[in-house]
Amino acid sequence: MKLNRRSFLASSAAATAVMGTPMILKAQPSEYVVASSLPLTGPFATAGQLVSPALKMFEAIVNEDGGIGGVPIRTTIEDSGYVPATALANYQRALATEPNMVMYYGDSTGFMKLVAPELKGDNATLMGSTSFASDLANPAENPYQYLPGPSYEDQVDILLQNIKDAGGSTVAFIFSNTEFGRDPIEHGKKKAEELGIKVVLEEATKAQGADIPTHVTKLAQSGAEHCILQGYVTGVWPQLIGGARQFGLPTQFHGTFWGMEKLIADRVTAEAGPFLDGYSGVMPYRYSYDQEEAPAYQRYAAFQKKAFAGTPLENYMPTWGLQSLVSLNLGIEALRRVANKGEEITADRAAEELAGIKDFDTGGFFGGPVSMVDNKIGTGRVYTYKADSGLFVPSSDWFTV
Amino acid sequence: MINANLKSTYAADERVLNNRYKQMFVYGMALLLAVFGAFANDYLILIACKMGLLLIAVVGINVLTGYTGLVSLGHAAFVAIGAYSVTIFQNVTAGFIPDPVMIFFAVPFAVFLAAFIGVIVGLPSLRVKGLYLAVATLAANFIVIFLIEQDLFAPWTGGMVGLTTNAPNIFGWILDSKREMFGLIALVGFVTLLMAQNLIRTRIGRAFIAIRDRDYSAEILGISLLKYKLMSFSISAAFCGLSGALFAYFYARILPEQFELDLSLELVAALIVGGMGRTMGPVFGVIIIVMVPEVIKITFGALTGDAAGMAQLRAPLQEIAFGALLVFFLLKEPLGINQIVDRMLRAANRWPFARG
Repeated sequence: MKLNRRSFLASSAAATAVMGTPMILKAQPSEYVVASSLPLTGPFATAGQLVSPALKMFEAIVNEDGGIGGVPIRTTIEDSGYVPATALANYQRALATEPNMVMYYGDSTGFMKLVAPELKGDNATLMGSTSFASDLANPAENPYQYLPGPSYEDQVDILLQNIKDAGGSTVAFIFSNTEFGRDPIEHGKKKAEELGIKVVLEEATKAQGADIPTHVTKLAQSGAEHCILQGYVTGVWPQLIGGARQFGLPTQFHGTFWGMEKLIADRVTAEAGPFLDGYSGVMPYRYSYDQEEAPAYQRYAAFQKKAFAGTPLENYMPTWGLQSLVSLNLGIEALRRVANKGEEITADRAAEELAGIKDFDTGGFFGGPVSMVDNKIGTGRVYTYKADSGLFVPSSDWFTV
Repeated sequence: MINANLKSTYAADERVLNNRYKQMFVYGMALLLAVFGAFANDYLILIACKMGLLLIAVVGINVLTGYTGLVSLGHAAFVAIGAYSVTIFQNVTAGFIPDPVMIFFAVPFAVFLAAFIGVIVGLPSLRVKGLYLAVATLAANFIVIFLIEQDLFAPWTGGMVGLTTNAPNIFGWILDSKREMFGLIALVGFVTLLMAQNLIRTRIGRAFIAIRDRDYSAEILGISLLKYKLMSFSISAAFCGLSGALFAYFYARILPEQFELDLSLELVAALIVGGMGRTMGPVFGVIIIVMVPEVIKITFGALTGDAAGMAQLRAPLQEIAFGALLVFFLLKEPLGINQIVDRMLRAANRWPFARG
């Protein structure tokens, strides 16, 4: 071809178009990545190992529904060992190696607080987590992090209100000496005072391997009618209740979300007898066996039967898995809203859409449609454990705080 | 090195980099770091920064354990002191000291405070040795973390919930990206290594080595054990404090749980793996301690894919593989990687006349 002004311009235009194409393609990647850090080893490994299959189920179902704006998602799971710095390294690794990461799922209050100041500019990502720490629901300072339910403070409010309604007048707070354990205690003391409930004991314990007889003796000396337990997952809380029952204490025990797992209660009942009978606590979601008004649960159940046959997840989704599913679903909803408007997915836009979620039907996780207020959903219900049936059954209506 | 290393003046013999190989190596490494900083991707920069932070602290442990022969299992406390004191100093003096020069006051303050507390923690070393000293220093770690977590000091330390840190500002240049921080960490790490190399050539360094080799003999030679053991503790704590100060600048937030026993053990493990009492020992040790888990993670990830079941299996396997590797190294080469490298360099130097 002879090179003249016209052919030169035509070739230049063609070359520019070819070089520009990748830029256009970049706006619509072949997949979006939802990365996560879970405690697959360490003190909360039981929870992490039960949650990780739920993430893969979530990936499959989101992709069945068309992903985000037609682009499929891929989830990645890294082990944090429940060490915040390891989770932070995982997040930074994901940032550096996954250019299409649109959302991150973290695994502890410590990690969420550690990473919060880093979420700026290019380092920002929409971020859900397993934590209900009150500080994380702070959209003014940190719009990217959110809670998939009520904060621990909200949960303690619900419990105290329930204690008040039942005519209780004294309460003890027993909590693990961690951020997770201490989170709602100051607020809980104020709330108890407001409601006219006397706080007769504030007792910090180790998160694992606590000295049960000492704590039970203190509880007995305090004469508390009710005791709120906070900051435990698999251990300590059942032993404390067991110790109190052996001691002959009539104290009624209450827990927050992480102390409400049926698998743990069932195991304790099988090994040590029915002493958890009557234990109650706040759950933001329906239990997975309560499927009648929850189409999402029915869909998950069908998937679980097929994909997780022979595992504990075949017929039951732990509360911890439900929490992750809610958190991820809320994030995906925000991301889809951005994509459906034909805009590029950025952390800022996702955070805006997330904050704007109103009267959203989650498919039955909560009692009804929910709204994001201050990056959290302040809804929950009190459930009580029945040792004979091995089920947590509702003992209050849905509260919104 | 046995050839091409003729020293014809005392000045040549006294140099830190006293032969051409060392010079080439050091200048080559400096160039490599500069090129790396400019071209490496974000992930590599992140890993390199973590290595640099750990390296400075391990150089500190090396002064104490490698050169002076005193074991410490509590040096994470000094990293914590460095990290917290630099942040608290900045928070308290903000407004009095202009931001662009703050780092030049805050970092020395953190380093001196760590050194001072190092002297206090070192006091038991005058009475006890070996395992007993290790246990005594262990207490330092627990006490410092306990104090940081106390509600009494929470207005300054943030208590259990930690402290948001500040980005370093050098004459108005705010180092708020990981790549910029890499520049600072690499520079400080490099200088720290040169300082450690220089230290062992001085009267003080020789005194440390004499104490390590036999403390009674050292005392008979006129070396004051009180003075030099405490000096060793303070120098080593100062390096750890420096590492802590940079740690605070690197991470946007610090929590007490980042400085617990795990970190103390990691520092000692890195030193043992790398080679105690050798300048390059900490470098090799840190490379192994930081890189191997990453390599194992990437390798296992590539082999097993993204399946959830595999992720569960992978996590404990990674830890087992890492543990097994450490045991393997210790069995095969108790003197550390530095010794392996030395042997290889010696063989290369003498080839083809001798091997190893």
